[in-house]
Amino acid sequence: MRKLTRLSAAFVTATLFTTSFPALAAESAELQALRLQVNALEQQLRVIARQIEIKEEAAAAAAPTTPKITVNDKGFTLASPDAANSLRLRGLVQFDSRVFFNDGGGVLNNAFVLRRARIISEGVFAKNYSFQIVPEFGGSAVSIVDANFGIAISPALQLKFGRFKSPVGLEQLQSDAWGFFNERSIVNNLVPNRDIGIQASGDLFGARLNYAVGIFNGVADGASTTNTDFDEEKDLVGRVFVSPFKDDAGSAVQGLSFGIAGNYSRQKTAAGHSGGYRTDGQQTFFAYNAAVIADGATWRVSPGLDYRHGSFGLLGEYVLSTVNVRPSATGAKAELQHTGWQIAAGYVLTGENSSYAGVVPATNFNPATGTWGAFEVVARYANVDIDDAAFPLFASASTAASEATSLGVGLNWYLSKAVRFTFDYYQTDFGFNVAAPAVSSNPVLRQDEKAFITRFQLTF
Amino acid sequence: MKFKLILLAAASLLSAGAFAKNITLKNVSYDPTRELYTEYNAAFAKYWKARTGDDVTVQQSHGGSGKQARSVIDGLDADVVTLALAGDVDQLHDIAKLIPKDWQQRLPNNSAPYTSTIVFLVRKGNPKGIKDWNDLVKPGVAVITPNPQTSGGARWNYLAAWGYALKHNGGSEEKAKEFVTALFKNVPVLDSGARGSTTTFVQREIGDVAISWENEAFYAAKEVGAGKFEIVVPSLSILAEPTVSIVDKFVKKKGTEAVAKAYLEYLYSDEGQEIAAKHFYRPRNEAVAAKYSSVFPKLELLTIDDPAFGGWAKAQKLHFGSGGVFEQIFLKK
Repeated sequence: MRKLTRLSAAFVTATLFTTSFPALAAESAELQALRLQVNALEQQLRVIARQIEIKEEAAAAAAPTTPKITVNDKGFTLASPDAANSLRLRGLVQFDSRVFFNDGGGVLNNAFVLRRARIISEGVFAKNYSFQIVPEFGGSAVSIVDANFGIAISPALQLKFGRFKSPVGLEQLQSDAWGFFNERSIVNNLVPNRDIGIQASGDLFGARLNYAVGIFNGVADGASTTNTDFDEEKDLVGRVFVSPFKDDAGSAVQGLSFGIAGNYSRQKTAAGHSGGYRTDGQQTFFAYNAAVIADGATWRVSPGLDYRHGSFGLLGEYVLSTVNVRPSATGAKAELQHTGWQIAAGYVLTGENSSYAGVVPATNFNPATGTWGAFEVVARYANVDIDDAAFPLFASASTAASEATSLGVGLNWYLSKAVRFTFDYYQTDFGFNVAAPAVSSNPVLRQDEKAFITRFQLTF
Repeated sequence: MKFKLILLAAASLLSAGAFAKNITLKNVSYDPTRELYTEYNAAFAKYWKARTGDDVTVQQSHGGSGKQARSVIDGLDADVVTLALAGDVDQLHDIAKLIPKDWQQRLPNNSAPYTSTIVFLVRKGNPKGIKDWNDLVKPGVAVITPNPQTSGGARWNYLAAWGYALKHNGGSEEKAKEFVTALFKNVPVLDSGARGSTTTFVQREIGDVAISWENEAFYAAKEVGAGKFEIVVPSLSILAEPTVSIVDKFVKKKGTEAVAKAYLEYLYSDEGQEIAAKHFYRPRNEAVAAKYSSVFPKLELLTIDDPAFGGWAKAQKLHFGSGGVFEQIFLKK
């Protein structure tokens, strides 16, 4: 029996051995094939990883020699790898609709206006040398608005030569695109606009103090240079603006800046006085008589402040403008002092920060995603008071107002940083000299100006 | 009297200090020379200090030889170039007139102070049994070599393979083209320089064989992956002659001509040659070469002037120029 059991065991073992050996061999071959396959796959993975690595290394190596092209809401920029040289193209287009209410039976034309259309070229060479050329295609003729070049010696000393804004008016210095309103306030009638000259400016004390001093040909109130100087005298301009709390994070006064600017020069000829002061609706409410000429000191003083705190923004300024004029070439000289002031405020309803350089919406207007951009409400009160002594020798009381007071309210819709719709209503009351007739000879001044100006603006 | 002597000594010291200059040279070199020039720069600085009292600091820049030449042409203000081949240095004259046409005649040995050759680096035990060039075209053999369009070393690799194929196919260029086409079909990764290929083969563990500068193969086998690799010397290879030149336009502008010249001339000195040999470059100096003869295997070496190539100008145009053989191979691949 035991023998039989042994025989059975041997039989079973032999059977198992003979049947499982080919299976084991096949399994081993399959394992080997799999191993080779895994190795091959592993090599392929390594090759792919290395190819990616090589591409990244090549990109990193090329970076220091590859020019950078940037396209964003600040324009199109082509820069050298070290950013020492760059060329930037920007643009500004403002398309307006002006509608006047109660304008004495259509005295003023409702109109579409291409207010500004500019292609702005800016560049930097060798890090410290810059230029800016701004042609204007809006309006009735093509002109050059700005053309200047600069030398950046240090943050504390930057030199600028050419045609650019004279640094007197606070709102005047703000970009044409980013004021609270689509039109600057009537106070800007009293400060110079673009002039030709040399300016030194810079930031001191950790940029808490900004200064500018310059020497310019000199221009009349609200005027821009025509590339001609009508006298030998030069306009000395200075400005100091401080932001004493700019680094006090969280402080309520962190966004407070204030300062004073002024200029002094001597002007001659009719070009030395203003060609006319205009309303928000761009109608002339004051102009000198045709024979009047400037002759003597012209100076201005303008304190101003700008305050930003979160969504709230405030801008205020005062201007005293003095001009010496004669009623004619042989008439007696008189010194006239005109004053103006404004206070303007805005509040961004959608929570973004108010800024002197424009609101950056948290989201762009996009109906597909249900985002609307940013909305800002604005209000402004401004006054310009003409020296009483201007009447009647230097201006006609029957055709010129002696005072203009403007109230403006508006809504700004920032569809993106680059696109803005503004909807502004302006109402301007006129005051007259005691010598003025009951009804002004100037139909524009027979009633308050009520203007609704909307603007579509594209800027980058 | 003693006081006067002290004063005189102090004045001498002061004047020596006052007139000692700090000079910076920029050496734009090819990929595998990092270690060589690190040691050489220190030796030269010491030599120059002793000779003139001036301190010299040498900035190194490394990359694929062709790319490096391009950088200098594009304005990288190199005082000297120490590139993988004369063809790349020629570009400095041909394209940008940065150096004179006869630049190669200004230093001994055609301005090639050391040489090298092309060998194979394989993994320990040589699992694929690589012995000669014809093993590299076999299916399933992954070959690592850099891109000849950017790397000087890669051009030597390519030409060595081409020379082998010509010699073994009765001088048939068609067959040689088929050979290098088959070889490049086996190349999974094209690095831009020789050091990159070493990284691919040694550190990323890709490929069965790396075609390599001899000095780079020694560097990999002895210093980077000691014990993990073996060097296989093929039956035939090419005499690779890395060449050097001052960049006349830049040294004149920077006022570094004298020291830049001396920097290159010192490569031919006993110390310069010893350093080159230590880093596995074949020295020109016979005494130093004899000292290191056991290090460098003897093999048949073609030169660039061999009829198989016809000199750098011809080789460059035929193989690596626009529409050249390599471009045809690469596009096909």
